[in-house]
Amino acid sequence: MPTTTRLPLVLVIVEDSDEDFDTLQEAVKRVGLPVEVFRAATGGDGLTVLRAQAPTRPTLVLMDLNTPGTDGREALAAIKGDPALKSVPVVVLSTSANPKDIVFCYSAGANAYHVKPVRHPDHLTVLVDLLTYWLSRAVLPAGESGHS
Amino acid sequence: MNQIPSDLSLLPWDGQPYSIKRHGVTITNCDSEPVQTPGCVQAHGAMLVLRPADLTVLQASENTDRLLGHPADTLLNKSVRAAIGPDGEASLKAFLATEPTDRNPLYVFTLPARHDMPPLDVTAHTVDGVTIVEFEATGRTGAGEPDYYALVKKTVARLQTAGTLRQFCDVAADEVRALTGLDRVMIYRFHADGHGEVFAESKRADLDPWLGLHYPAGDFPQPAREIFKQIWARPTPDVSGDLAELVPLTNPDTGRPLTMTHCALRGASVMYTEYLKNMKVTAGLTMPIRRGGELWGLIACHHYAGPKHVPYQVRAACEFFAQVVSLQYQAAEDREHLVYRLKLDGVHHQLVAQAAQEGGLAAMTDGTPTLLDAVDAGGAALFHGDRWWRVGTTPSEAELESLGKWLNERPEFASPTRPLYATDSLPRDYPPAAAFSAVASGLLAVPLSRTHRNLMLWFRPETIRTVSWGGNPHEKPTVPGPHGPRLTPRASFELFQESVRERSLPWLPVELDAAARLRMLVMELVVSRAERLADLNADLTQSNEELDAFAYVASHDLKEPLRGIHKYAHQLLEGATIVDEEHRRKLDGLMRLTLRMDSLLDSLLHFSRVGRAALQTEETDLNEVLGESLEMVGARRAKGPTEFAVPRPLPHANGDRVWCREIFVNLMTNALKYNDKVEKRIEVGYLHPDEDHPRPGCPEGSAGHAIYYVRDNGIGISPKHFGQVFKMFKRLHGRDEYGGGTGVGLTIVQKLVERHHGRVWLDSTPGEGTTFYFTLPGREGST
Repeated sequence: MPTTTRLPLVLVIVEDSDEDFDTLQEAVKRVGLPVEVFRAATGGDGLTVLRAQAPTRPTLVLMDLNTPGTDGREALAAIKGDPALKSVPVVVLSTSANPKDIVFCYSAGANAYHVKPVRHPDHLTVLVDLLTYWLSRAVLPAGESGHS
Repeated sequence: MNQIPSDLSLLPWDGQPYSIKRHGVTITNCDSEPVQTPGCVQAHGAMLVLRPADLTVLQASENTDRLLGHPADTLLNKSVRAAIGPDGEASLKAFLATEPTDRNPLYVFTLPARHDMPPLDVTAHTVDGVTIVEFEATGRTGAGEPDYYALVKKTVARLQTAGTLRQFCDVAADEVRALTGLDRVMIYRFHADGHGEVFAESKRADLDPWLGLHYPAGDFPQPAREIFKQIWARPTPDVSGDLAELVPLTNPDTGRPLTMTHCALRGASVMYTEYLKNMKVTAGLTMPIRRGGELWGLIACHHYAGPKHVPYQVRAACEFFAQVVSLQYQAAEDREHLVYRLKLDGVHHQLVAQAAQEGGLAAMTDGTPTLLDAVDAGGAALFHGDRWWRVGTTPSEAELESLGKWLNERPEFASPTRPLYATDSLPRDYPPAAAFSAVASGLLAVPLSRTHRNLMLWFRPETIRTVSWGGNPHEKPTVPGPHGPRLTPRASFELFQESVRERSLPWLPVELDAAARLRMLVMELVVSRAERLADLNADLTQSNEELDAFAYVASHDLKEPLRGIHKYAHQLLEGATIVDEEHRRKLDGLMRLTLRMDSLLDSLLHFSRVGRAALQTEETDLNEVLGESLEMVGARRAKGPTEFAVPRPLPHANGDRVWCREIFVNLMTNALKYNDKVEKRIEVGYLHPDEDHPRPGCPEGSAGHAIYYVRDNGIGISPKHFGQVFKMFKRLHGRDEYGGGTGVGLTIVQKLVERHHGRVWLDSTPGEGTTFYFTLPGREGST
């Protein structure tokens, strides 16, 4: 349930697939929170966006692993290796549950790892659930985030 | 005046100087006979020993009266002039002043016939500070002298045309016989152990051939061998002839006995003459064949028709001939060894080429040629690929096994440059070999691998089985002479038998070299094969990895568009504009297909993970694994009553717990899925390798392992489909029958079993049920 917030929630999503981004936006809409969404198509762009957002501190990063250029793995490692960014939760979204990727992401500091189901309703459900959780249930480090 | 020598130890004959005439019968041992100081000359000639400074006679043979017309005692302390006249003295003096006579007897002049005495050839040489002058009948009958130079020249020319060593020796024997007129001429060849072989022979037609006979080393005593390294001819014109003692027996100036090594007249060893007499030989002449400083053999001439004097001129020709033979023989032997070497190398290269072509060293004992064709040996064996390959006559495999272990400990095998062990008397080094000395007294062995487990061996039989010997052992012994039966052929044979027991013919240097070269060739072959194999393996590993990575990435990347397709179909369906039932049905189909493709991709991903994941093999209790599997299967169990049976607890296996569980889960899932019985039944058990069970379809090599099985009472599989069930995405039924599925379960089972180095197979009767069998040897190599 949305509560009064002083600032909109800031969501940075690294996603090169338009369809998947579209699904995310649908999920954001369903969650119904005031979220400002920044999209980057590659891990490298994602880092740039994040650093530009640094003063206002993004609330959550959604990271697709397999993007062109600097991929999600590298971007994840860079975020978690950057003292200014490392407290921002990063949720990984991947097409498959490759054990190697899962181990890598958690070791690199990912806050969660989710598989994007092919079945659209399932995909939507996963996204709505995780957005609800991270944007309204979880207590995040900075005071800018909303709380229930 | 006789002086008693001060050093009595030199003369152990009752304190007296040695003389064959006086002490010969007391000799008991060939090697102790003082053959170089016999104190006597052969009585067909006479000898004077002179003081070089004034040519005064110091010693004279006791028969000078008969040959020179003056009794020995009348010549002592006189000038040599007393014996040979002033002309003779002048000739001798001039000769000694100019010619190199030290230890080198040379012809000086011929003393003409006087009264009833024949003309005498006079030869002279100096040794140990005295001049020795020998007198022998010229043997000339008045007819013209043959041109010995021309004879020898012709002979040498014939020798040079001989192709092989044997032909060379045949020519030499023929020529010496023609030159001397003796009844039998043999070329003896000494073997490394000292025993002799009649290598070539020329003889009077009526005599028994001795060609190929072997004689014990003892027939050629060491003192005699030493002498033949110093002289070029040894005449014994009358084996039964008289001896003439020197007067006095020792040099009056020094008290020393006379060294007669180089004297043609030197009194023959009693052992030698008795040996010759036992063989009915009446006269003999022997010349050495030398190689470098060593005695290679002898040109031995025997005469049987009474005494036969070979005059000095003829002997000189023979001496020269012996020298030529010695020189030319080396060339002939080198030539022959070269030919043998080329033959060995030729066959060896063929062997290796054949082994390379056939893809295995076994071809070296099975094919044509074999290891035996190269080397002169009785048998050969190869240890390679954990087993023995044998050709010809060899010890048994059990004997080879122990021998191989012993060989691998030999210090020779540790040589970094030339690991090679060769012996002509294996039992001496390795006592257990006495059991098979008949076939393998001689052994030539080379290791074929750095770990030394692989071996190449050649065997030579005991000599006694391969050669004829001098002296028929079944012949009645001849009446022994004063030195007893040991010098008779029969006794000689016994000695010989003793000396060659558990011995083979020695390995030639050229054979050792060839074996060492063959080893290098084989190792190159083995190494190149191993390298090729390693390359192939590396390629294969890489392409496997690439395939796995490809499968993974491809299926991963394929999912993204699939998700998009599903999404659009979903949205279209959700959208209010779609009302047409036909459209709705098609959109449903589209979504169903994307989901099916999704599950196929998941299977592919899983399969590629099965292939790539590291196996963690450990001692695993399969009962626990089975329990876990059952829980997992139970969760997705089909409806209806199911009986699950385990007749007896499963053993422990060496496997990866997680993947073993997956094997059971997949097999049991199938057992339930493809089952239309009301009461479904699954049995999981195993067959112990020692138990007598039918093992239908069991692949070769699996009988030695525990065989696990999962048996059901399901729909069964037609035998014609046995091979297809393991193929990826291969389904035997309609897509939605039996609960659907991607058809990857058995492919994964097969992959997992193979990764445990096991095999999986099945037996089935359609309508009654199927049994899947598998093994888990669990020898997991590096992944």
